[in-house]
Amino acid sequence: MRTALRKSIGPLSAVLVAVTAWLGLFVTPADKDQGDYVRLVYIHPAMAWVALYVAFGMAAVCSLLYLWKRTRSLRFDRLAAAAVEVGVVFTILTLITGSIWGRPTWGVWWTWDARLTSTAVLAVLFLGYLALRRVPAEAHVRARRSAVFALLAAVNVPIIHFSVIWWQTLHQGATVLNPNLSPTIHGIMAWTLLLSFIAFTLLFAWMVTVRYEIETLREDDHDADLAVAIAARKAEGAQP
Amino acid sequence: MSEAPQAATTDGTTPVVASAPAVPTRRLGRPKVRLALVGLVIVAAVGFLLIKGLGSSLDYFKTVDQALATKQSIGTSTFRLEGMVKAGTVTRTSTGASFEVAQGGRSIPVENHGSPPQLFKGGMPVIVVGHFRSSSSSVFESSEIMVKHTSSYIEKNPKRVKASDGSVN
Repeated sequence: MRTALRKSIGPLSAVLVAVTAWLGLFVTPADKDQGDYVRLVYIHPAMAWVALYVAFGMAAVCSLLYLWKRTRSLRFDRLAAAAVEVGVVFTILTLITGSIWGRPTWGVWWTWDARLTSTAVLAVLFLGYLALRRVPAEAHVRARRSAVFALLAAVNVPIIHFSVIWWQTLHQGATVLNPNLSPTIHGIMAWTLLLSFIAFTLLFAWMVTVRYEIETLREDDHDADLAVAIAARKAEGAQP
Repeated sequence: MSEAPQAATTDGTTPVVASAPAVPTRRLGRPKVRLALVGLVIVAAVGFLLIKGLGSSLDYFKTVDQALATKQSIGTSTFRLEGMVKAGTVTRTSTGASFEVAQGGRSIPVENHGSPPQLFKGGMPVIVVGHFRSSSSSVFESSEIMVKHTSSYIEKNPKRVKASDGSVN
């Protein structure tokens, strides 16, 4: 059952992304101001959602679970690392798709407003987390360092979310999760937007699962190597 | 992997074993240096982004009211001005476009150098980057227009339907 679920998540996310692309490109209407550029709304916000809330949320929760003594396990450390690694991909895609959307609609590829700047900070923090993990250290030392760093960096998440409310920005406010919680998108456009969120979240889940499995195999391999090496040294010690 | 125990039993590995304890002690300082380096790079990168970005982005633009209220202190320094393009005031000039940016009842005439972005038209909220021509002039000379589209997405032709032959009216 668990294997079936794990194996189906990849194809399912691929199908949902394909359906999103079809709806977004061919079925949904053009926008009255933006014309066809509006079709980027079925990619860009979903990627930002995954990067910001799903990836960083998962990294923060797993880090917390690792730091909490009763649930301390290197599995959570590995899960947090996998989430961040995939999260980096989505953060950079968010910046790229946003830039592509910004050029024709705003007129600029980039501007230093609070939303864009705080998202760039997120990308740097994600990369910093991964760099920190490359520093050689004993597994639990590295896990503790990484977990503390992830939790400190998580402060940036609410800053990014509320940046369009707290400060003046060129970036528009939220369409769905706005302060009034009244979506300013309707009909097929809204449903396609919702589908894009589900599709990219599943894609993220699949990528994290695969990444986690690879990391587990590598650790097992490392442990096996270590066991062989220890056995070899012991064998030497037994020799006169 | 399978070679390790075999190799260890031969005499050839003795120097390796002898040097093994020396490796960790020699490397003891390195992880700390790398940790410090990583920390330094992260702090520098985030610091650069915060100074470069948030320094100006928290006060990202001035509204028409704010610009008019602080016009004396602004002088001819460059800033971002936000407002709605007044419908019917847009005219193309040889160097770009001229129009009025309004907020409430007040407006500022803008002379833009360079062609406006595709979405630019009367009735759209914009941010123009530039400065007042002189401390006594009310004309704002801009070099860049950014269209500030809203978070609402509205169907272009809601009444449009496809005919049975596939044509669109």
